[in-house]
Amino acid sequence: MTDLETYRAKAAAWLDSVAPTYGREARKGLAEADDLALGRRYQKAKFDAGFAGINWPTEYGGQGLGHLEKVTFDAEEMKHGFPNFYFGISLGMPVPVLMQFGSDREFVKERVLKALQGEEIWCQLFSEPSGGSDLAGLRTKAEPDGNGWKINGQKVWTSWAHYSDYGVIVVRTDPTVPKHKGLTYFWVDMKAPGVTVRPIKLAGGDSHVNEVFFDDVKISDDHRMSPVGGGFAVAITTLMIERYVATDSAGFGPHLDLFVDLAKDTLLNGKPAIEDGRIRHQIARNHAMRSGLDSINVRARLMMQAGMIPGAEGSLNKLVAVRSRQKLSELAIDLQGSDGFAFDEHASQKEDWASSWINAPTGRIAGGSDETLLNTIAEKVLGLPQDHRPDKGIPFNQIPA
Amino acid sequence: MTILYDEGQQAIATESRRVLEARTSTEALLPLLESVGDYHRPFWDTAKEQGWTALALPEVHDGLGLGLIELGLIAHQAGRSLSGAPFLTSGFGAAKAIELYGSDAQKARWLPALASGDSIGAIAFAAGPDALPSRPDVKLTGDLLDGAARGVSGGLAADVAIVLANGPGMPVLTLVDLAGVERTAVASFDNSRGLADLSFAARPAETLAIGHAARDAALHILALQAVVTAHEQTGGAEVLMEIARDYALTRRAFGQPIGAFQSVKHRIAELYGLVELARANCIHAASREGAADFITAAAAARLSATEAYDTAARDCVQIHGGIGVTWDLGLHLHMRRARSLAIEQGSSLFWEDVLVDRLAGEAA
Repeated sequence: MTDLETYRAKAAAWLDSVAPTYGREARKGLAEADDLALGRRYQKAKFDAGFAGINWPTEYGGQGLGHLEKVTFDAEEMKHGFPNFYFGISLGMPVPVLMQFGSDREFVKERVLKALQGEEIWCQLFSEPSGGSDLAGLRTKAEPDGNGWKINGQKVWTSWAHYSDYGVIVVRTDPTVPKHKGLTYFWVDMKAPGVTVRPIKLAGGDSHVNEVFFDDVKISDDHRMSPVGGGFAVAITTLMIERYVATDSAGFGPHLDLFVDLAKDTLLNGKPAIEDGRIRHQIARNHAMRSGLDSINVRARLMMQAGMIPGAEGSLNKLVAVRSRQKLSELAIDLQGSDGFAFDEHASQKEDWASSWINAPTGRIAGGSDETLLNTIAEKVLGLPQDHRPDKGIPFNQIPA
Repeated sequence: MTILYDEGQQAIATESRRVLEARTSTEALLPLLESVGDYHRPFWDTAKEQGWTALALPEVHDGLGLGLIELGLIAHQAGRSLSGAPFLTSGFGAAKAIELYGSDAQKARWLPALASGDSIGAIAFAAGPDALPSRPDVKLTGDLLDGAARGVSGGLAADVAIVLANGPGMPVLTLVDLAGVERTAVASFDNSRGLADLSFAARPAETLAIGHAARDAALHILALQAVVTAHEQTGGAEVLMEIARDYALTRRAFGQPIGAFQSVKHRIAELYGLVELARANCIHAASREGAADFITAAAAARLSATEAYDTAARDCVQIHGGIGVTWDLGLHLHMRRARSLAIEQGSSLFWEDVLVDRLAGEAA
């Protein structure tokens, strides 16, 4: 066995051992508060077992291992349905950025350790009502206030803000320069006076995203994590940190085997649906797509293992997998016909077709919409021109509304 | 087997691309469309000279002892350059059939000649829409073949063919020396494929496999060829994506390059996705030769590569507008090739069924 296979086996054995306590079965029927509490205990158990912060420096409580070990662990962890999504954003982006750019090192160390053990949660305050894809068009402003700053404005789609202790935020500090140049990056205390968090109920019924309002929220200058006007570069760093994450060719929906089983168990025109050409076509196409994504992912892992940088094709997973999951989920509901109306808003998106279907649009919008991803491929990979941008080079406060 | 190309494999890709780009051109390929039965001789001479015909055959029979991965790399480049003859794939399929299912005498007779390219091989399994018929049109009585094999790629020039025959009542995989066999050239939309109907009249045939074994053997040969063809299709799709990108960067309309319009740039970005999925499936399938899931992997490669090439041909022409449909620009060479490769080695309809039978656990 290679070192990595040994590591995978060790991780899998530990995950198996804790699955009864924290996994899918243990979570069934839990109210969200109890599920979160279970999640915090799971995160602590991970930390104690040496599986938290796998690729983070040991001085911050990490394991000092490589990205490959992290992806390997994540792929194994995904199988058990643990309550770890409360910490996904926190440990995925804001906390690593804090480690990299936080100025008060003692403070940083304390926060990182608490976050790694599930005691504290961080959120990322980027999107605003006036723009999600157009990040640099944000309007929340920070004005000088004594030795510090005063924040006013509104953020939106902030995952887990209602459970968060801290957040990282990009705000406009200078509206008289072009939009990318007037931004600054801070961290904020989510419990500070003037911060109001209001959950947004999504189409599928859950409320993990929020509106966050800032009314004269005062912060000192040591909260600043970028040069004044240099916030956009740090924001991009944030988005690039987890470029090669553990992916799921099922688009975080049900495995294709579940669709095949459904087609075998369903009679269509008196015959098993698996014998129907329309159903077979979709199964074959979905399999070919997913096997391609799997092969891309394996190749990326092998390249990292060999010290090479994986190709840009790794960016295809979210674009390709989620939209096809959406269509396959529709077809699965079609297949069930009048039995397909049933809906349980607490069902897992990975096991239930209706849940997968109603939540799929979120996957096609959050973290880069399909259209944004296509633009990125076209511009960064293929070298095609940027779109026409009427706001380019114009001071922010002179951009036509 | 790993799916990362090593240095030797990368050199094969680079060198074959260099040679093919130097020796092929749209101007040389266009006239072939207007004559039935001809092929691009410089391509075939190059394949022989470079040892590509010997690449994936065993060393003991004068081959180079490499495999599907290396042949796939050549096929990818051949696809980029619109290979001028189908013999690389058909000869490989015929040679593999003889290597895997033939006698020592058959191997000694045919493999060195196929490895050198002095002999050309062909595969004749299909009967119309059925890529692997359980009752082929060609009948075997005793050791004599009668009937017609239709639309055989490379059949016009082939010296030896692997024919799936009705034996009677069960399929039989046979080896046939084609010397003197009556062939009728098929006037096709892609005329450099050497397409022919082969007519057998009491033609002696040597049996390679019978019944279920014959069908399994034929499917395996078809899958090996499908992986090679999938690489070729991916190469074609890749070059069309690049041609579309380059045109979108230079062609201007409404005061800007057309590549700045999302309707155009997204179309090309979608092609990138199709090409990379096909490539990934090809690399995976080539690495699975001999494994239990080889047929499944080959089917996935075949389906995604056919989709990529057809879509790229469609969209690349569309992005070019009027100039895209002219004879001289030659994009129609890719349109034609995308369709002929989509049929050779079984269409998507065939491979979808092969794949779903396996996924549903109904494999024979």
